[in-house]
Amino acid sequence: MLEQRYTHLQMIALVVMRVLIGWHFLYEGVAKLLKPNWSAAGYLKAAKGPMAGTFKWMADSPELLDWVNLLNMWGLFLIGLFLILGLLTRYAAIGGALMVLLYYAANPPFIGYFSSVATEGSYLLVNKNLVEIGALFVIAVTYSGRYVGLDRIFYRLFHRRKRTVSEQELTGATV
Amino acid sequence: MSERDDKDLRETGNPEEKRGIDRRDILQGMATLPVLGLFGYAVHKQVSYEDAQIAQKLGTAQASNLREVKVALLGAGAQGQVLLDAMLKIPNLRIQAVCDIWTDFNLKRVINTLKKYKFDPHPYEDYQEMLDKEKDIEAVVIATPDFWHAPHTVACLRAGKHVYCEKEMSNTLEGARSMVLAARETGKLLQIGHQRRSNPRYKYCYNRLIKEAKLLGRIVTVNGQWNRAVQPDLGYPKRYQIPADKLKKYGFKSMEQFRNWRWYKGLGGGPIVDLGSHQIDIYNWFLEANPVAVVASGGNDYYSPETREWYDTAMVVYEYETPEGKARAFYQTQTTNSSLGYFERFMGDQGTLVISESDANYANAIYREVTAPAWDEWVQKGYVTAPKVVEVKEEKSAVLDVRESVSPDEHKIPVEFADLYHRPHLMNFVNSVRGLEKLNCPAEIGYESAVTVLKVNEAIQAGRRLEFRPEEFEVS
Repeated sequence: MLEQRYTHLQMIALVVMRVLIGWHFLYEGVAKLLKPNWSAAGYLKAAKGPMAGTFKWMADSPELLDWVNLLNMWGLFLIGLFLILGLLTRYAAIGGALMVLLYYAANPPFIGYFSSVATEGSYLLVNKNLVEIGALFVIAVTYSGRYVGLDRIFYRLFHRRKRTVSEQELTGATV
Repeated sequence: MSERDDKDLRETGNPEEKRGIDRRDILQGMATLPVLGLFGYAVHKQVSYEDAQIAQKLGTAQASNLREVKVALLGAGAQGQVLLDAMLKIPNLRIQAVCDIWTDFNLKRVINTLKKYKFDPHPYEDYQEMLDKEKDIEAVVIATPDFWHAPHTVACLRAGKHVYCEKEMSNTLEGARSMVLAARETGKLLQIGHQRRSNPRYKYCYNRLIKEAKLLGRIVTVNGQWNRAVQPDLGYPKRYQIPADKLKKYGFKSMEQFRNWRWYKGLGGGPIVDLGSHQIDIYNWFLEANPVAVVASGGNDYYSPETREWYDTAMVVYEYETPEGKARAFYQTQTTNSSLGYFERFMGDQGTLVISESDANYANAIYREVTAPAWDEWVQKGYVTAPKVVEVKEEKSAVLDVRESVSPDEHKIPVEFADLYHRPHLMNFVNSVRGLEKLNCPAEIGYESAVTVLKVNEAIQAGRRLEFRPEEFEVS
């Protein structure tokens, strides 16, 4: 555990990053839920790149599309909520990264492909989606939820035997 | 640090006695909860802002004391949903009932949407039952397949309701005629859903630019199109299949036909009717005349005639005798390529107007012919924007052929319309029900448009030029 020591400032930085990403997810979810009849169909149909066929196929099957829409709206909402709260942080981060990976795959900034959605910058292989995936990867492998987050309470409650753990062993933070 | 570690170490002595968490765990564990409060506040602010924007567009502030109008939606499919979205925020409009035969899917979805918006609509499968039970509904918005428009509209009018009926008014002229007559007999309002008639930009172009400023001069030719990309037949979730006997009762042979009725003879009219009627209606409006003749070429060139009975491609030329003189108008609709989307272009001897319902795809511009009188006056009055300066390159102008016209100046039309396309037309209907406005597309106009458009299918079939008699456009 010694090599995993973090200062409080480093832990707070992780928490802030987690909350910011959570906010982004949560509002993407809420905005879709608030629209009377939101559907991913247009986005899926406009997909580019090697996976485009798969996305178009999803859009063309009404049954599948219903599920895609539901999973997308509520997935964004719940992952956002959990990231902000620091609840099941690791699973939320992995789930979030997988979702964003799908968005990345729908419009990959590969050489020779042009994005079908408006972009405000210039990207080569790496775009903001990939950066967010990277950030979620960091969240997934650190314990910011056990530092600030509901995971801390659950960890304390359900790991009584390990009650001896100190703050630094709990999260890796030096106190 | 040591204090905390000491405490932890102290607790290890008898962990069963102590609770697993302490005050600090609780505080740190819930430290991000206030973020949710902030989030909720921000979302609330954002939603209020969006509502205020819409309210401003709709003039809700002045409209808040308007009396409530109770309506029903008959037909909750794709177009019903479009109309519903446009109705949701119309002030003092109560959506009290929804009727659709696809009860497990369309009806359920629309009821759920309405519940989100704090409506509590009564669901119906049978429109007669709805008309019998919902006595206090004043108006019905109809978005059923074309071949149901006439029976639905006539039944609603006779039940004492005002009606907003989607275009095409009917798939047959007899149907359309029965609707006009029913509206006349009952004295109830019948608005046909040619929503461009209420679009502020179209109204501005007609009233200000064409009529008042006469910027186009005499309109001699028109063209327009609706090009659409290849689309597969519409599917449906298998578990929501409507039983065969119920489909039969409502005039459909199969679920496939129910979903794709627009393509079947006897149910719809094909793309020329679905898409063309919106734009050909504008031809009649802006040219201030009904056509005198039509030639058309079309056919089922691409799709299987098994599932697409109507023509996937149609190219049409109308001849008009306008108050200003002769005019010819070309229209094309095809469903195999989407290039340049949809627009209408009116070409006069002094200018050209390119207009489209779609703000995103079209600049909505007006071009002055170089030989026309200057438009400075209208630019100063703000009727059109100052022209875009087109630089002529030296070497290019040097070789400019004398037979080639210099390209005209481009002016923009200063009317932005960023609302849902159907909202102004529905607002016009609701305010007409309240007695505050006149219908922008009453039954008679819808009928003229139906006569104009339905003749295209006839002309394609006949393979020759067909003439319109002036009395064809009248219902007596």
